[in-house]
Amino acid sequence: MSARPDATPPLARLQPALTLLPGSAAWQQWRAATLAQLVTDGLPTPRDDAWKYTNLRLLERRELAPAAARPLAANALEGLPEAQGPRLVYVNGRFHAALSDRSLPDGLVQTSYRDLLDGAPPAAVTSPIDADQRIRQLNACMAADGAHLTLTAGSNPRLPLEIVHLHTGGGAYPRTRLELGANSSLALIEYQLGLGNADSFVAAVTDVVLDAGARLTHTTVQLAGDRTVMIDDAHAVVGRDARYAHRLVALGGQLVRFDLRVDLDGTGAQADLRGVLFADGTREQHIRTLLDHRVSHGTSDQLYRGVAGGRGRGSYDGKVIVRAGAAKTSSRQSSRNLLLSKEASIDTRPQLEINADDVKCAHGATTGTLDENMLFYLLTRGLDRETARALLTYAFVGDVLKSIEPEAVRRAIERRALGRLPAAATIREFIA
Amino acid sequence: MSNIHKGDVILQISGLTVKVQGRRILNGLNLTVRAGEVHAIMGPNGAGKSTLSQVLAGRADYEIVAGSAVYLGEDLLALAPEERARRGLFLGFQYPVEIPGVNNVYLLKAALNARRRQLGLQELDAFEFLAIVKDKMALMQMDESFLKRGVNEGFSGGEKKRNEILQMTVLEPTLAILDETDSGLDIDALKVVANGVNSLRTDNRAVVLVTHYQRLLDHIVPDHVHVLAAGRILKSGDRGLALELERRGYDWVLEEANAA
Ligand SMILES: Nc1ncnc2c1ncn2[C@@H]1O[C@H](COP(=O)(O)OP(=O)(O)OP(=O)(O)O)[C@@H](O)[C@H]1O
Ligand SMILES: [Mg+2]
Repeated sequence: MSARPDATPPLARLQPALTLLPGSAAWQQWRAATLAQLVTDGLPTPRDDAWKYTNLRLLERRELAPAAARPLAANALEGLPEAQGPRLVYVNGRFHAALSDRSLPDGLVQTSYRDLLDGAPPAAVTSPIDADQRIRQLNACMAADGAHLTLTAGSNPRLPLEIVHLHTGGGAYPRTRLELGANSSLALIEYQLGLGNADSFVAAVTDVVLDAGARLTHTTVQLAGDRTVMIDDAHAVVGRDARYAHRLVALGGQLVRFDLRVDLDGTGAQADLRGVLFADGTREQHIRTLLDHRVSHGTSDQLYRGVAGGRGRGSYDGKVIVRAGAAKTSSRQSSRNLLLSKEASIDTRPQLEINADDVKCAHGATTGTLDENMLFYLLTRGLDRETARALLTYAFVGDVLKSIEPEAVRRAIERRALGRLPAAATIREFIA
Repeated sequence: MSNIHKGDVILQISGLTVKVQGRRILNGLNLTVRAGEVHAIMGPNGAGKSTLSQVLAGRADYEIVAGSAVYLGEDLLALAPEERARRGLFLGFQYPVEIPGVNNVYLLKAALNARRRQLGLQELDAFEFLAIVKDKMALMQMDESFLKRGVNEGFSGGEKKRNEILQMTVLEPTLAILDETDSGLDIDALKVVANGVNSLRTDNRAVVLVTHYQRLLDHIVPDHVHVLAAGRILKSGDRGLALELERRGYDWVLEEANAA
């Protein structure tokens, strides 16, 4: 495959699409200038340290312009677990009222990112949160819609809120923002679902703000299509004694990267991050986390498991920063990875930067193959090799999957994860 | 199974020679085990008792240089480990492996059903299976909470051994090879384990016990006692040999063999 030497860079091809986007003149100006800068800077490459393990060259030939609206079959959401609560559906980044169930609980207020497009671009969108802002800015340039949700202080809706991002091909730029008022709590389940097998590119941004004492359990279930390149950039700011829990199940996509930045911003803030990635076939699944302990008494816990088979590739690139003054920080970071074939690979880079005294930090990352002693033991009990391997593979990720709530979603996801393993049918009864 | 009768040859090992990492561990070992018999294999540390057990169960990291093992008329060494298990060969591990996340009772059910399929029997449903397991757990004096845990996960040394014997009593193997199942057991547990083994002493089965201690043989009285040393069965005898070994150690057996 030789790229056309005269090919227009993919970002430059986006320029005509800007004029089709809704928004004020101020927005259009900002978008044009920002995109021009992005065209100059280009997409991230593995030469950029933060992108060491993720190569976006697939995008050279991909259509990045937002997909035109298309009619959807009534059963478009069939691939999802049963809804556990109100569900907001976005198709290629745009709200789809007919598929959505907007009976939001008391205390949860939904506005739209669209509302922001009438004024000038707000600081929340334009001001940098990281040294390398390119994907965020790309999203900000192209996003035309997105859920903006605010939960009032003290509210504790019983049911989870679900946001479904459905991708049918072409570019999509979903933008989600969720603010939890003091001492409120919520479970948010986000699905990234691919429909059909068209080439897709998704650059998603999710911003979360937790006020003092707020608690959010944020689950991302990534079921993107086999020809989807997706970068999911999430940022959580966690206030005093607030708790942010994130669960990632990365099953789909062609090349998917989940970037999660968590700022522990108030004393006693907590982050509890767990995730599983499955890079089977030729899939690439990448996780990058940045945990910023800014003040004292923060707790962070990361537990990631990766499985790569076939020619699958994956990575865990996780950094914990403990700032000066963030005394009494407690931080744990664990990434364990399993390779099921010789051609599969998973890179890991756990990093720890400590600038404070009196902190407890533990980190580690391993990549290995199935344990031969365990395998032999199962064989001597009469299990065939394929079942034994699948069982051990499943057991490897089982403890992380167990942390998914509610139970109905967990079971549905366990079934899907199982479906990815050889001999799924025979091992199903083991987790009954 | 039912067509095996007392005295039929279950296992015949001839001239078995095995290398590990280029080193010869077993060197022309012969052993015949018949239905209805209990054999005890004793021998110094590092003599190759576990090597023999693992080779018979089908572990791949051993290089079989020469010899044969015939199990119920089939070339045992040509069978995959799972095929051996399904044909009724059971290995009780010296060091049972912990497998977190794989449920103990589901493994046992899968193991039993794999065996039953081989025998042309119907697979058991969960209800029938649990009835059997609970019965055997009572025999092994194991709390039912062990069923819900991961395979050997967090089990104490003695609990792991009990779990091995529980599996054995559920699977009802034709040939059980128990590698130091008595090590690490307290006196009461030793009796429980011995009960489990004795419950399988029938005319159509056989048991090979690897042990260092004559004590076990008070509870499971063997028909034959062998000394494995220098890569072979150097000496065989009856129960009396075990008592003599307990008194005199192994040196005299080696000296006797050298003199011969
Ligand atoms: N995988 C291996 N790699 C290297 N050496 C091995 C391996 N397995 C066994 N050996 C060696 O083979 C020899 C026999 O070991 P084995 O475990 O069979 O002895 P054993 O008779 O069971 O001893 P014990 O009574 O201590 O259990 C030992 O010297 C041991 O170190
Ligand atoms: Mg041994």
